[in-house]
Amino acid sequence: MSSLISPQSMASGAFILVLGITVLGALIAVAAKNIFHNVLGLALALIGVAGVFLYLNSPFVALMEILIYVGAICIAICFAIMLSEPLYLPGPPRNLLKVIGALVGAGAVFVFFALLVKKTSWLPAAERSQDWSVTTLGHYLLTNYALIFEVISLLLLVAMLGAIVIARGGRGSS
Amino acid sequence: MLLFNQLETYLYLALVLFGIGLYGVLARRNLIAVLISVELILNAASINFMAFNRFLAPHPAVGQIITLFIMAVAAAEAAIALSIIIAVYRKLRSINVEHATELRG
Amino acid sequence: MAPVDWIFYACLATVGLPLLAFGVIMIFTWRKPQLSLAISLVCSTIPLIIAWILFYTLRDATLAQPIIRQVNWMVSDTVIVPFGFLLDPVSLLMLAIVGTISWLIQIYSIGYMGGDPGFGRYYADLSLFAMSMLSLVSASGMLQLFISWELVGLSSYLLIGFWYEKFSASEAGKKAFVVTRFGDIGFFMGLVFLTYYLKDINLFGLGIADINSAAIAHKLTEAQITLCALLIFCGISGKSAQFPIHVWLPDAMEGPTPVSALLHSATMVAAGVFLMTRLFPFFAGSPTAMTWILLIATITLLLSSTIGMVARDIKQVWAYSTVSQLGFMAMGLAAAGLAGSTMFAGYYHLTTHAAFKALLFLCAGVFIHHFGTNDFFVMSKQGGRKLLIPMVTVTIGALALSGIFPFAGFFSKEAILGVLWSLPNKLWVGLGLFGAFLTAYYTFRVIFVLLFPRPDGHPAWEEFKDELEAASGGHGHGHASHGHEEEAHGHGGHEEHHGVPWVMAFPLIVLAGFTLILGFYQAPLEKFLTGESHPHEMNYLLLVLAVGCALGGIGLAWLDWGRRGAAWQGFIRKMPVLENFFIQKWYMDHFWRWFLNRFIYGTFSRICTYNDRRVVDGGVDAVAFSCIGSGRLLSLIQTALLQLNLLFMVLVLAGVGIYLLMGR
Repeated sequence: MSSLISPQSMASGAFILVLGITVLGALIAVAAKNIFHNVLGLALALIGVAGVFLYLNSPFVALMEILIYVGAICIAICFAIMLSEPLYLPGPPRNLLKVIGALVGAGAVFVFFALLVKKTSWLPAAERSQDWSVTTLGHYLLTNYALIFEVISLLLLVAMLGAIVIARGGRGSS
Repeated sequence: MLLFNQLETYLYLALVLFGIGLYGVLARRNLIAVLISVELILNAASINFMAFNRFLAPHPAVGQIITLFIMAVAAAEAAIALSIIIAVYRKLRSINVEHATELRG
Repeated sequence: MAPVDWIFYACLATVGLPLLAFGVIMIFTWRKPQLSLAISLVCSTIPLIIAWILFYTLRDATLAQPIIRQVNWMVSDTVIVPFGFLLDPVSLLMLAIVGTISWLIQIYSIGYMGGDPGFGRYYADLSLFAMSMLSLVSASGMLQLFISWELVGLSSYLLIGFWYEKFSASEAGKKAFVVTRFGDIGFFMGLVFLTYYLKDINLFGLGIADINSAAIAHKLTEAQITLCALLIFCGISGKSAQFPIHVWLPDAMEGPTPVSALLHSATMVAAGVFLMTRLFPFFAGSPTAMTWILLIATITLLLSSTIGMVARDIKQVWAYSTVSQLGFMAMGLAAAGLAGSTMFAGYYHLTTHAAFKALLFLCAGVFIHHFGTNDFFVMSKQGGRKLLIPMVTVTIGALALSGIFPFAGFFSKEAILGVLWSLPNKLWVGLGLFGAFLTAYYTFRVIFVLLFPRPDGHPAWEEFKDELEAASGGHGHGHASHGHEEEAHGHGGHEEHHGVPWVMAFPLIVLAGFTLILGFYQAPLEKFLTGESHPHEMNYLLLVLAVGCALGGIGLAWLDWGRRGAAWQGFIRKMPVLENFFIQKWYMDHFWRWFLNRFIYGTFSRICTYNDRRVVDGGVDAVAFSCIGSGRLLSLIQTALLQLNLLFMVLVLAGVGIYLLMGR
């Protein structure tokens, strides 16, 4: 009994759960017919990914993942769904050739990368720091990586403007 | 060796997500579904970075910063893509990828 | 390479001053006749003086050791193009001839071309000709000679077509240029073969001395010499109007008469014979080639003499006479080569012919200028014999041409007949004598018609009624665009000309003087040119035969045209078939027109046009169309199906990756 509820086994069991949520969410995200189901599947998968980040020692990033991806992007996608084609219309007939082609393509890439992963010897760096604090993260953001930080903000500004312009309907229509 | 303490686990997980996302990009006809699949691919890349950060990187802050930036870029890209989808729907009255084929040879 | 000294600069001045005159006149002063005339005369007198100075000071030069002065004109890595002058007795004499006659013609043209709107251009072209001819005779390298050869052809074209508004003149210019160019193809091929056989010299450095010495030193086999000699003779027969490409010379009479006197009697057409003299040791190395040349020259002699017998235009008669005399010169050179004697006979005849043929043409020019017509029957009716100086000098020229003692033609004809006599086959000397007979006949046909016109009302004038009316109506032959329309209005202009202007009479008198005295300089000239003097053993039989033929020709002409009761119809009238054949110029023009149409236009041009349209154009078009077509094909790849493109991209990436990874 103790081995079953030891911390390691609980952690392993939770990890398997998280993996399952992720993969299940991904499958729903690509396979469901109703577009809303796709979005919900995406949200599920991203929550799973946040769990994976927890296992990778980064609670801050996990929180950010849920905040940004699930909280903002998925909701935005829902808005776009509502502003587009009505959902009650029947979808177009499924094209078997396309499905098989996509399966082959995805499968090939998967095999390629899997081979790559298997054949590479992953060497950790010689000196590894143990500082996992968020303070250091913030410190780095504002000193070493300040340029990227600023550029990202610029990028976000441009994206906002672009989205407004495009979604407004171009010139001359208000 | 615990499953969640090995690097390969996370790499294979990322690969699976990548493959599923790639299938979605190649096979779905709805533009929004394609966008969703692209988000999956981006997250697979994030998992990869975080995995290397945990097991190989010299300083753990670097991988996390990269992941944060990926999230920012993905957000911006999703915003633009969604506005484009709205505009396309306004023009073509459909968000089927196979209907947007005017750039034909 | 000999050092550059005063000789080089003297020759450079001789060649360069006329070129300078050409440039200055054509660019600046061609609208100002007097200024152009002054420039041209100055740049013609100085070379004349230099030529005579060179002739005098270098009279000890010999053929075996010519004086060569050369500089390297263009030098690149391995190619050196020389430019220089080669002075030996042959070229010194020719320099003197060309300089003198060119100067005399320029003086004569003051009177003949006065008032013509193209006066400046005329003198520029004359200067260009002088420069190219002087460069030709003094060139040391074959490349320089070939360039001058072509330049001479160019100036001939410019001068023949001088009155270019007249269609026949421009056509004649074109014909002259194209026909001589046709011969020059052979010339150039001969040069190329020579450089091929003489392996250590390239075309740029090929020199005249090299060719002669190579032949003498037996560096070339006889077959090679035959081939090259015959090819070079193609160029010579183009320039010197040998059969069968002599057809351009009679048409070249469309140019002004002084031009005919300078180019087409004395100097340019002599360039071919001059070249043969220059390369005489080379030509003599191949008896086969010399035999062929002898044959062609004989045919030329006889063919053109027969045509000259029936011509009505005085310039045409002299033109055919030039052609036949050139054939005679070539006969002399060819026979000398076969018989082993020197080139003196042919070259001496060239010298004397220059003098008396230029004289004959200039006299004809005076008559044409005066009467406005080229037809000597019309001139006779209008009182041609009243112009004293031209009549006397034309008779002197005619006597020289027929070979009567004591004029120069007698001595040079004797020399050539002597060389022909020394050949084993007496047929050649027989044909030469027959040619002399015909020459005397047609020459004195002209003289007697001019001297002894029939009385008015004679039935002979019926034949020439049309030309007479045309002359009195105001259009003379070949002078429609000449500036002297007032003289062409028949005999109304007689009163204005008391005699002949002195600028035109002066050259006549000078040339007549040369004709008289050149004969007696035979021995000194022979010593000068060949370095040896033959004690002339008099061949009395040949002398009697030659004089007999000449006198016989004159006598027959007297019977037909001169005596009081003559009917003014040539003896040839009794053989109408032959007469027609001669009038049609042995159908040579017809033959060449047929040849041109059948082979050049019909075959060669058609192949070239086909090649141009279908192969070259078609090739380019095919490239263009294939570009367009392949573009259309490739554009099918742009399916606008986003996911299809992505799929392929992904498959290729994965495929390459797996392939690379599997190999490890």
